[in-house]
Amino acid sequence: MTPIMNPATPAAFCLSLVILSLAGLALALMARRARLWCAGRPVPVEWARGLRALPKRYLVDVHHVVGRDPYAARMHALAAGGLLGGSGLALLALIPALGGARLYWALIALAFAGALAGGVMVGRRRYPARPARLSGGRFQILPLLLTFYAAGGFLVAFDAALGGALPALAWPALALAIAGGLGLVLQIDRGPMRHAFAGAAHLVVHPRPGRFEGERATALAPLDLDAPRLGVATPADFAFNRLVGFDACIQCGRCETACPAFAAGQPLNPKRLIQDLAAALQPNATNATYKGSPYPNARAVAGIGGPDLPLVGAGAMIHPDTLWSCTTCRACVEECPMMIEHVDAIIDLRRHQTLELGALPAKASPPLMELRYADEPGGRALAARTDFAAGLTLPLILATGRADVLLWLGEGAYELRYGRTLRALVTLLQMAGVDFAVLGPEERDCGDLARRLGDEATFQRLAAENIATLARYSFSRILTADPHALHALRNEYRAFGGAYEVIHHTAFLDGLLAGGRLTVGALHEARVTYHDPCYLGRYNGEIDAPRRLLDRLGLARLEMERAGKRSMCCGGGGGAPVSDIEGERRIPDIRMAQAAATGAGIVAVACPQCSAMLDGVTGERPEVHDIAELVLMAVEAGSAKAARKDAAGKDVAGKDAARKDAARPPEPVA
Amino acid sequence: MSRLRRDPRMERAAHRIAGTPRPRFDLAAASAATSAATSAAPGRLRRDPRGEERLALVPGTPRRRLDRTQRVALAPAGAVPAAAMAETAPRLVVIAEPAYLVAVVPDAPGGRLTPHDRQVIGAARLLADAGGGAVLALVEMPGEDLAAAGVDRVLGLPVAGYDPEAKAALLHAVLDGLDIRHALLPESADGADLARRLAALTGEALFAGAESLTAKAITRAAQGRRIEQRRAPPRLITLAADASAPHGGAPHEAIPVVFALPTLAPGAILSAEFVPADPASVGLDEADFVVSAGNGVHDFTAFRALVAALNATPGASRMVCDAGLMPRAAQVGASGTVLDARCYFALGIAGAPQHLQGVARCEHVVAVNTDLHAAMIERAGLAIVADAQKVMPALIDALTGAGAAEAQP
Amino acid sequence: MKIAILFSAGRHAASGRPAPVPVELQAIRLARELIGQAAGDAAGDAAGDLSGDAPGVITGFHAGPDAGPLKDALGHGLSRLVQLSIGAQDDPLPSLAAALGAERFDLVLAGRSGQGGEDAGLLPYALARALGLPIVADACALAAGPQPGTLSLEQALPRGARRRLILRLPALITVHPAAPAPLPFAFAAMRRGMLETREGVPAPRAAGEVEERAYRARPKLIAKSAAGASATERLKAATEAASSGGRLLVDPSPEDAAREILAHLRQIGVLRH
Ligand SMILES: Cc1cc2nc3c(=O)[nH]c(=O)nc-3n(C[C@H](O)[C@H](O)[C@H](O)COP(=O)(O)OP(=O)(O)OC[C@H]3O[C@@H](n4cnc5c(N)ncnc54)[C@H](O)[C@@H]3O)c2cc1C
Ligand code: SF4
Ligand code: SF4
Repeated sequence: MTPIMNPATPAAFCLSLVILSLAGLALALMARRARLWCAGRPVPVEWARGLRALPKRYLVDVHHVVGRDPYAARMHALAAGGLLGGSGLALLALIPALGGARLYWALIALAFAGALAGGVMVGRRRYPARPARLSGGRFQILPLLLTFYAAGGFLVAFDAALGGALPALAWPALALAIAGGLGLVLQIDRGPMRHAFAGAAHLVVHPRPGRFEGERATALAPLDLDAPRLGVATPADFAFNRLVGFDACIQCGRCETACPAFAAGQPLNPKRLIQDLAAALQPNATNATYKGSPYPNARAVAGIGGPDLPLVGAGAMIHPDTLWSCTTCRACVEECPMMIEHVDAIIDLRRHQTLELGALPAKASPPLMELRYADEPGGRALAARTDFAAGLTLPLILATGRADVLLWLGEGAYELRYGRTLRALVTLLQMAGVDFAVLGPEERDCGDLARRLGDEATFQRLAAENIATLARYSFSRILTADPHALHALRNEYRAFGGAYEVIHHTAFLDGLLAGGRLTVGALHEARVTYHDPCYLGRYNGEIDAPRRLLDRLGLARLEMERAGKRSMCCGGGGGAPVSDIEGERRIPDIRMAQAAATGAGIVAVACPQCSAMLDGVTGERPEVHDIAELVLMAVEAGSAKAARKDAAGKDVAGKDAARKDAARPPEPVA
Repeated sequence: MSRLRRDPRMERAAHRIAGTPRPRFDLAAASAATSAATSAAPGRLRRDPRGEERLALVPGTPRRRLDRTQRVALAPAGAVPAAAMAETAPRLVVIAEPAYLVAVVPDAPGGRLTPHDRQVIGAARLLADAGGGAVLALVEMPGEDLAAAGVDRVLGLPVAGYDPEAKAALLHAVLDGLDIRHALLPESADGADLARRLAALTGEALFAGAESLTAKAITRAAQGRRIEQRRAPPRLITLAADASAPHGGAPHEAIPVVFALPTLAPGAILSAEFVPADPASVGLDEADFVVSAGNGVHDFTAFRALVAALNATPGASRMVCDAGLMPRAAQVGASGTVLDARCYFALGIAGAPQHLQGVARCEHVVAVNTDLHAAMIERAGLAIVADAQKVMPALIDALTGAGAAEAQP
Repeated sequence: MKIAILFSAGRHAASGRPAPVPVELQAIRLARELIGQAAGDAAGDAAGDLSGDAPGVITGFHAGPDAGPLKDALGHGLSRLVQLSIGAQDDPLPSLAAALGAERFDLVLAGRSGQGGEDAGLLPYALARALGLPIVADACALAAGPQPGTLSLEQALPRGARRRLILRLPALITVHPAAPAPLPFAFAAMRRGMLETREGVPAPRAAGEVEERAYRARPKLIAKSAAGASATERLKAATEAASSGGRLLVDPSPEDAAREILAHLRQIGVLRH
């Protein structure tokens, strides 16, 4: 070794060379893995846009998620920053002008010191006891490799910075760095380090780029029903950028802790699911290397796969019960620092099960059949949808052809429980003099259930027919109390040519109160906690209006530990109630316990599913009320108070008359 | 019996409802008796030589053969036990020389009429009494309850085992050989099958599943219950359950008639074995009587004993199935089984909407619950606000006690 | 084994829209399981997988102007559907008799009664007669019989009773709703299935003497009265039915409660001792 370049120390020079060769090895391993991604279906990707946006996506969007766990954020910044910084700088030290500068090596030493601190933090998290959500196996030796490499690098650089004052230390340190570095690089192929490069690639080719641009971007992508094979059967059926996404998983287990199905002991663990999907991409794959928490009450599977082998089935990687346990709540997606789209993957797999194999859970099939022939999952007459309003006048849009607000009733209208909510809403609309109408017998199911159960054919038919119906009428906005319908109408019909302004009843009522069109009295001393519906909060980002509205009612509002966009599902979405996959607990019981823990006497809900699920919880518990019901109570309390004020000094009969007057809905404004 | 004298006092007495302190009269009985009387009133019944000849025709033979001995078909065959009957029954209605026959083919499993059979006979009475006809029952096993049900004549159909095709062929022969204006069958599993076989054999139209019947008009549902079809009663009719009242008047003679039936070659059914319904193991969707436990039941040994004692099918709410106290297959409700049972007996079940969906089609609901405001109590026809743990043993005691008491005499 | 299944032009009970009749879809499953069993597979396996073709020949027949949603039967496991094109008012019997007579089927399955048309359920019987086949009603399970050319079947009787029959084939069998639920619908299987249209036999139906009007539900006449009840009992039952507000007993003694319950159960006839 001729020191032609006059490096600080021979050991430091060797470190640079080692890093260079490790980088070469890393690139080769990455290329090998990336070749597997090519098995996936090609999809158009805006590479330039993705590459340009990568730094922002990483530094802002990813760290926004990572930052929810401050320890992890610091740990990751130190480990990743130190590792990349130290290694990169050490590589540049091959440039003689830099490699000869002791100050430069001091900088490198600093970077490695950071990496070392990060490595120690990684270790502190995993030793002595590893939290259940973190994986073991290769992941458990990660802190060792990190500290070895960082410590080795630090010592070599430190020695170089001191001008070779510690030669006895430098060479063993170099060996340590080599050992650690080689270990880390080998982890690129099938270990934790894969997340670094796959994660970066995923940020570039992300299937929902809108997520980084302030959109919620939660609508499912339409499926081409003329495609030769529908949905995803094998890893190769996934779009290639989905495969990149699976490889990006760092097994942090954040999705696992957020998953309601996991909490209920159903056989679903989103982390394990993503790992199974990633593992199956390897030819002759097995699921044996996974060392995280299993699927709860896992159903037996062979655990084998390959790029062109089926993913789902007892003889494959994933048991069907795993797929059908998902409520499509997107809590996993919301929590995932690697921006992985679990729900899309689950729906892709379900589409194949449903459309190609007809392999649905026994109880999920009849509602889809009813939807095919009656446009209603319960097989009930469409005209019966307005039965809840017996005694109220419910204007049909058919009569006039137009209305300012089209009230979309949704499936809840058939349920006795939710009928009360809709009655309250209709009463409030009439009180406020809103010009509204309903489709009545022309309203078909929005198709949410069909779509989540993978029956894209039925969804697309319903969407097309609803869009055709809506096209016949003139209205400025669609109002609905059902967040699932809201999501379908607002976000998913767009791909089929239906663009509407859709507003949820909480936002609408908030507007009516803000505009003074309804006046409320305070519902004193009631302690209330608000349960965010997934399809309103997480899917559509609407978490403020319902809270504002509750505050206007003069309620003492308490927050559950999981609220807003990070709220926990009630268990009612994604067709989970009809799939009814056996677990240990019921999701709504868990959620209700969280609500009860706030000390609230009322759980305010804003969705027919939440209402049904939470009301199904037995025993001592807070009451369940839709916000519309609470608003009506407050309006009635207000008018009663106004009546009392008016009637002060008058006789009792007058008081009664005043109350009646106040309760009568004003004439609708034309 | 050449002429029948009317005795208004006797007739009135025959219509009187027994057991009421004030004299009350039953119209159905009245119509039966008066029509019997009016049919006889014109005095002599005309002979119908062509009809008699038709009756004497021996079916199933290539050449036309008459068997004059069969003339007895319209008259009592052998000694009439009328005297003996008159002693026990209020009064026996006798239709000596009917103008025509209305045939009924009751299911009569094991020779006993079912409620549906009685309704069909009631309907047949209506058609017969409208014109002085007689009701002829065609049964595999003549039972004792035919007279009270309103049957005038009985003809046995010798069918070995389960062979509906043979039975249909015999019926076909009877329909061809006797003056049968209408043939009525229950629209039950076996009756409906038989009627359609008969319709296919005779090539006649079948008025299937009649839902209302008078002598002039008969109706049925078609096109998925969107359309009601209506016409004068044709010859072949099946009657839906609970569409007509059973005969409520005085008993008729139910005397056997003789008719030479053809012998038939064996059919395609090689063997048949009847497996009676076992309430303990029958699927919930087919069960007739379901006894169900909810969260308010703690003693499942008693519950199971009660279900067995009631000879019912066990069910449960989701809470109970979730807790593993009953198998998942026992779950009643929206995400369990939707029942078609006649009676649902709910012990300690609150009656959540999803649970009530499962019992929406049950005609009778009995509920025991400690909570007066439980939705199940509201839904029940008989609601008992009490502790299920106390009621269950009392029920078992009452049932076993009743069994023992019955066994003694 | 060659199996034919008859499909009638059904309508959905609530929507009134054209729809397959559920028991006819159940027939597909019975047929697939029977063939799967004959092929030596575990019955469920062969029947449940809609990804491939049925392990045997199952042909559906429909006589009518348009197959419409009946082609969905192809998504429930049927591999081939033949539509015999006739006018809406034509009698399907001659078309079906001709088509089924031309091919020799070991087994013909049909629904118990159509849905949406005459609903009399006469067609399978008339067809069996025309084809010279024996007919058995209300099968809820099929299996290969003890000897070749025989079939063992379970006939569903009311309230869960069964009759086990052994039958010589060929035969026509109608299916009962107690048979296993239809295989779930698979859109792609429907896409793959073969739909064939042939000319049927025009057979105008003779105008009947029936008068038709909108359906009107009638109250059940005597639902309450027990078997062989006397007029008095019927009267009592009728008056009680009219005043069926429901009886409520609050805190009776357990013995009173038991007595009351048993009396009630006996009265409605579910308890027979
Ligand atoms: C999507 C969904 C689907 C569902 N599907 C179903 C379903 O298919 N079937 C189903 O059953 N549930 C279903 N549920 C659950 C349902 O909402 C209720 O939670 C459940 O039915 C309650 O069961 P329960 O009445 O046994 O329990 P509880 O609600 O706990 O009621 C127990 C009752 O027993 C009474 N009781 C207590 N002690 C006694 C005593 N000593 N003697 C007598 N009475 C006593 C109490 O007053 C109470 O009324 C579903 C829920 C959801 C959300
Ligand atoms: S999928 Fe995302 S949240 Fe879940 S373990 Fe992997 S990286 Fe973490
Ligand atoms: S969407 Fe919800 S239920 Fe489904 S895997 Fe993610 S967290 Fe679990």
